[in-house]
Amino acid sequence: MIDRLVKYVRDSQVWQSIFRHGYPDTDRNQSLVMFSSVLLHLHPVKIRRSALKFRYTMCLGGLSAFMFLLLTFTGIFLMFYYVPDTRAAYGNIKDITSNVFMGGLMRDLHKWSAEAMVFLVWAHMFRVFMTGAYKAPRELNWVVGCILLTATLLLSWTGYLLPWDQLALWAITVGTKMAEATPFIGYAGPWGQQLGFRVDNDIRFLLIGGTVVGQNALLRFYVLHCVALPVIITLGMVVHFWRIRKDGFSGPL
Amino acid sequence: MKDMRGFEAVTGQEGKEPVSRRDFFSLVGWGGFLAAMAGVGVGSFKFYVPTVLYEPPTTFKIGPPKDYGVGVDTRWKTIGQFWVVKEDQGMYALISICRHLGCTPNWFPDQERFRCPCHGSIYDVNGNVRGGPAPRTLWRAAISLDPVDGQIIVNTAVRQDPDPKSIEGIAVFVDPEPRKVAPFYIQI
Amino acid sequence: MAERDTTENIFPRNPKKSYALMELVKGQGFQTRKQPEDTVFVWPHLLYIELIAAVTFLAGLLWVCTFKHAPLEDMASADTTPNPMKAPWYFLGLQELLVFFDPWLAGMVLPVLMIVGLMAIPYLDVNPKGVGYWAWRERPFAIWTFNFGFLLWWIFIIIGVFFRGLDWAWYWPWDDWSQHKVASSATLNDMNVILQGWGMGAAGADWATYVLTILYFVVFLALPAVLWRGFSKQLGAVRYIIVWGLFAAMMLSPLKVFLRLAFNIKYFMVTPWFKL
Repeated sequence: MIDRLVKYVRDSQVWQSIFRHGYPDTDRNQSLVMFSSVLLHLHPVKIRRSALKFRYTMCLGGLSAFMFLLLTFTGIFLMFYYVPDTRAAYGNIKDITSNVFMGGLMRDLHKWSAEAMVFLVWAHMFRVFMTGAYKAPRELNWVVGCILLTATLLLSWTGYLLPWDQLALWAITVGTKMAEATPFIGYAGPWGQQLGFRVDNDIRFLLIGGTVVGQNALLRFYVLHCVALPVIITLGMVVHFWRIRKDGFSGPL
Repeated sequence: MKDMRGFEAVTGQEGKEPVSRRDFFSLVGWGGFLAAMAGVGVGSFKFYVPTVLYEPPTTFKIGPPKDYGVGVDTRWKTIGQFWVVKEDQGMYALISICRHLGCTPNWFPDQERFRCPCHGSIYDVNGNVRGGPAPRTLWRAAISLDPVDGQIIVNTAVRQDPDPKSIEGIAVFVDPEPRKVAPFYIQI
Repeated sequence: MAERDTTENIFPRNPKKSYALMELVKGQGFQTRKQPEDTVFVWPHLLYIELIAAVTFLAGLLWVCTFKHAPLEDMASADTTPNPMKAPWYFLGLQELLVFFDPWLAGMVLPVLMIVGLMAIPYLDVNPKGVGYWAWRERPFAIWTFNFGFLLWWIFIIIGVFFRGLDWAWYWPWDDWSQHKVASSATLNDMNVILQGWGMGAAGADWATYVLTILYFVVFLALPAVLWRGFSKQLGAVRYIIVWGLFAAMMLSPLKVFLRLAFNIKYFMVTPWFKL
């Protein structure tokens, strides 16, 4: 009875349109699954047995990507209850941690996986360096990786402004004061004032949308954190994975 | 010179390279495209610059001078981000923003020092830097007496910020005497 | 040439079949230097590893979440800075650097140099060896330089996390972290002021600091060419200048920390526009 039902479903047009081949337990289907699935085709069909060794990659790059997925997932949940308004944001975070069902867990996961991602990305960079995996023909992928590293740190930085607590305010105050001290384009930096930059037209003013960290800064960082930087990091990841596939895995021959 | 249909291109003056119709349109097309993109870039940039700001007030009326005792008064720090310093002959207002990276230093009466919790800058009562990474002296805010009711008015948007120099023992130093000028100092 | 006997041995001709092995010939094929490919299918071998890694890591994170919650401090207030104000741990290296350098340098120029320098690594490293395995001896310069910088970054982070307390003063783990430390009585001086104290004129002292700073970079750019001629030739002029310029910039931070702690020097060079 159940077997007949399963067979009916499997033979139906709907099932056939989604799964183009049988369960991947034969060589043919194990190849087809990699070709036909958009997510799985990031992988090659076959891989050298030695490249599976944990000792070589320690799964650092893959886990960084997994952290990004987890952060996107938990971040979307948090966005449902969060308003980027200086009067509301702090209360929203309190609501999320204490009132929303599983809200505290979502925020904790978001926070700790963000910290884990920073650590994993650094560790991944270290591993890639130590195994010489950046050498020709993989130079470009190392550069893309550095961009991803920078984007990861910027995501962390824009992220901890959002709860609008003391850490948020002062970390952003300090961080954007550094921008103010940029040579040439910040008014407190070398040659900034000589080039006509003032507190209300320099790079810091653009970054926080005002002369003090306030509502505009919160909104700008919110947009950067939730839209601009994730888009950049997604594009970077696409290129990063694509190049691994094209240039080949550097693992032991 | 012939263009792709085999017509003779219009030649200009003798000895000058003629511009074929194809090159001309290519130039106009790409030029226009790039100009439009540049316009989009400038427009995006200008869009990003805020034109209306809603920021906290910078002018405070802080009562008559007799309300303040000699020394550093911290009561306005949490309201207006400045300290009122009273000396024997006059008063000035120090803005409580660290010149290193903008944190709010704390006043330690026993040590007679302002100390910043972010990166450890240390200032004396004149605003000169006695330690830590601060590159300039504390700002002094404009201070004046209201001619009508005699109250002190502090405006933290107008700031005194002379170039410091380095003297023996104080790396970031400004002579406090010449700083005692209107509108950054009131005689009492 | 032909090895008829061997052929016959391996594949005896069978008159009933329409095909047969014609000949075995000794020679070099294009596969000779390659070992037999030892490959496995990604499904299921790699995918299961990825799944296990992800699930294990997620379980670990969930376990952390059960006893350690994301911090939330008091509501933002522009008037009072918490004491001490510590950034999250991954930025504490930068925050520690800011204690020793002006913000334009520690906050902008050095981080940008770090990232640009990292990006430039594959184009600066001319050593073709050591791809695809943990190699130490085959590329000592690359490994030592990178690890020195990486270690420095982590040392600054550890100092920031474990040794900085109230007013960003130095606290040992056994100190009372609730008591303010007395501000250091040592006064900071600029290099040119110290030189003036040794009897130099003001302008002379200024110029002496400029010369010393330039000398610092000249030493870093000149010395390797003398010490390691072969390596320098390998790099070529452009790479050589970039490599040692970046190296000198990296060494600035331990040098400045040393000058500050040992001699109470605030800046070793002062110009009207910027201070180092």
